[in-house]
Parts: sequence; C-alpha cells; structure tokens
Amino acid sequence: MGEEVFQKSKISEPVSIVAHQLKNPISVLKGYLEALISGEIGKINKKQKEYLYDALENVERMSTIVNHLLDVSKIEEKRYEVKKTPINLSALAKDVVEEFSSWAKAINCEVVFNPPADLLLVQADLIKIRQVIENLISNAVKYKSQGQAKVEIRIQKKGNKVLFSCKDNGIGVPDKDLKKVFSKFYRSEDALDIDPAGTGLGLYINKAIIELSGGKIWFKKNKEKGMTFYFTLPIIPSP
Amino acid sequence: MPKKGKPKILMIEDDIFFRKLYRDKLVREGFEFIEATNGIEGLNKVMSENPDLVLLDLMLPRKNGFDVLKDIKANPNTKDIPVIILSNLGQESDVKEALDLGAQDYLIKTEVRLSEVIDKVKKNFPKK
Repeated sequence: MGEEVFQKSKISEPVSIVAHQLKNPISVLKGYLEALISGEIGKINKKQKEYLYDALENVERMSTIVNHLLDVSKIEEKRYEVKKTPINLSALAKDVVEEFSSWAKAINCEVVFNPPADLLLVQADLIKIRQVIENLISNAVKYKSQGQAKVEIRIQKKGNKVLFSCKDNGIGVPDKDLKKVFSKFYRSEDALDIDPAGTGLGLYINKAIIELSGGKIWFKKNKEKGMTFYFTLPIIPSP
Repeated sequence: MPKKGKPKILMIEDDIFFRKLYRDKLVREGFEFIEATNGIEGLNKVMSENPDLVLLDLMLPRKNGFDVLKDIKANPNTKDIPVIILSNLGQESDVKEALDLGAQDYLIKTEVRLSEVIDKVKKNFPKK
C-alpha cells in the first residue's frame, strides 16, 4: 500500500518505511486521547485524567522518536531538505527563549537572551533552525546542575556570518566523551540519569541542519562549569 | 444551487481507526460524514456524493492521493470542492506538490491536533 508514494517521496530504507507506518497509529492514539481528555466523550475523574495525560505524553515521546529516526534516515540517504529563506534569527531566538522560560523558571533556571544591536538576517530554514535552537536551549536547561542555573543565549555578527551561542553552567560532558557529542545515539551517563527517555539524536540532527544551511556547529567546555554550543549561519548583507 | 441539510465531509483514508476518530468527531460537530477507503472509491464518491469538503490522505491503496487530487481538480464538476490533505508525508516537496495541485491546506497527521483539524475544516468551508 502506498508503495508508489513511498518511491515518489524517495522513502526506500526499511527504517524510514517502518517509521512512516508508525505515524498512523501514533496519530490515532493522540486523537483518541485528546478526545477523552477534552471530556466531550464523557466525564472523567482526576486520576483518569492524570493517566490519560501520562499516556499522551508517552505517545508524544514515541512521535519524537519516530520523527528523529526519519530525520536521521533522510540525512544518511542524503535527501534531507533544508530550505533557504531570509529569517530574523534574533526574533526566532527570542520566541524560543520565551517558550522555554516558564518551564526553566519552574526548575530554578534562568534563561537570558542578549540580542544583537542590529537586525541580522540569515539565509536558512525557519522550522529547522527553530528545532536546533529549541534543542540547544532545552538541553542546556534540562541538563543543569543542582541548584540555581543560568543559560545565556547570544547572537552576534562575525564577518559574513551570524554567530549564535548557548552557554550553560550545567553538568557538561566528561572529557572522555567529547568526541562523541555529535554522534548518533550518544548520551552521557549523567544525561541518562536525568532524562532516560532522550533519543540521543538531537545534536546529530542539529549538525546536519546547520551544515546543510552553509554554517558550522561546535562546542567548548567552559572554564568554570558547563558547556557553550555555537553555530554560524550565512548572513544576508543589509542593503 | 445551495444544498440543504448538514454540511457533508468526505474522508478518503485507508486506516479504519483514523476514519472512526474523525467520523465520531465530525458527527459530534454537526457534519454529515461519508468515507472511502481507497483512492478509486474516494474519487467515485467525490462525483456521486458531491461533498462540501474532502479530507484526503496521500498514501492510499488503488490510487494515491496526489492522483486523486489531480482528478478532482481536473473535473469541472468537482474542481471547486475544497480538499484538505491529512497525511504523514511531511517533506517540503510533498507539501508543495499538493498545494500546487490545488489542495486548500496541508496537515501532517502526527503534528496536528484533532481539534485543529476540525478548526481548519470549519475555516475552509465554502460559504453558502
């Protein structure tokens, strides 16, 4: 079923096909859970609602895993598509910071954004760059150290590139693992303790997105504590 | 001539659970719901039932959704029926092709909530 459409969309690897086939049952589960939670099918009690939300959260996790697997197979089959349209990186970063700030605050983490003085437009894919920024900020917040934490986002112009940085004072990565940070499925022991459910694919996908957009992505260990991740994107010269 | 009665939605979708989910929801929302499980049956129902809106999957048995859409838009009797794609294919090229072929909207099943789909259906409904 749908084989010709799979071929048309260049979906050929078994992993991609299976991942695609998992999407329908996931969407169905999400739909049924959403209908139950809304109460329109009938009244549910507090405990039932709690369980339904837990089920929904786990379906969302499945969905993330499937999407990550699909992204990885597209990257490896060299058919990952990255659009190039003008985007205001600062506005995008501000939006993502706002999206994460209440969750961060709730776990004692402050997310600070230092916008550039000038409007900086880059040539990139809005949805995918948002995915990169969300992943970097969510990692920085999620893998924070005990107690009060801080994440600093900065955007600056560097020659014909725009430089984005995300600095945290979190748990970091052990020296022995530094070469594996952008590898598929890499998770440090400490990261596994904090979030056993992560896929270990986020940074691998980030690297592909940034490189396909004509930029670079890297990190350094901070002198004091934590890590700073950087990426660049080609700037659109102002007229 | 304006039709009487409840607005009629045709869902062309091969997944039985997906159809049930939308059948229940759309009926609760006051729509008449008709369904087809493959591309050929879907196209026949577009012509025989004259729905007010079509929810169309792309990966379908017998005739894929892109070809169904092409045929709907090529027929003067059906070309004005709004078609919303509801698919798991999310590549930019798939979205572009469907919109170029005349789809009103393109929704990705795993990324959209049931209630959002219903909102889109209502929004895309032709005014009578």
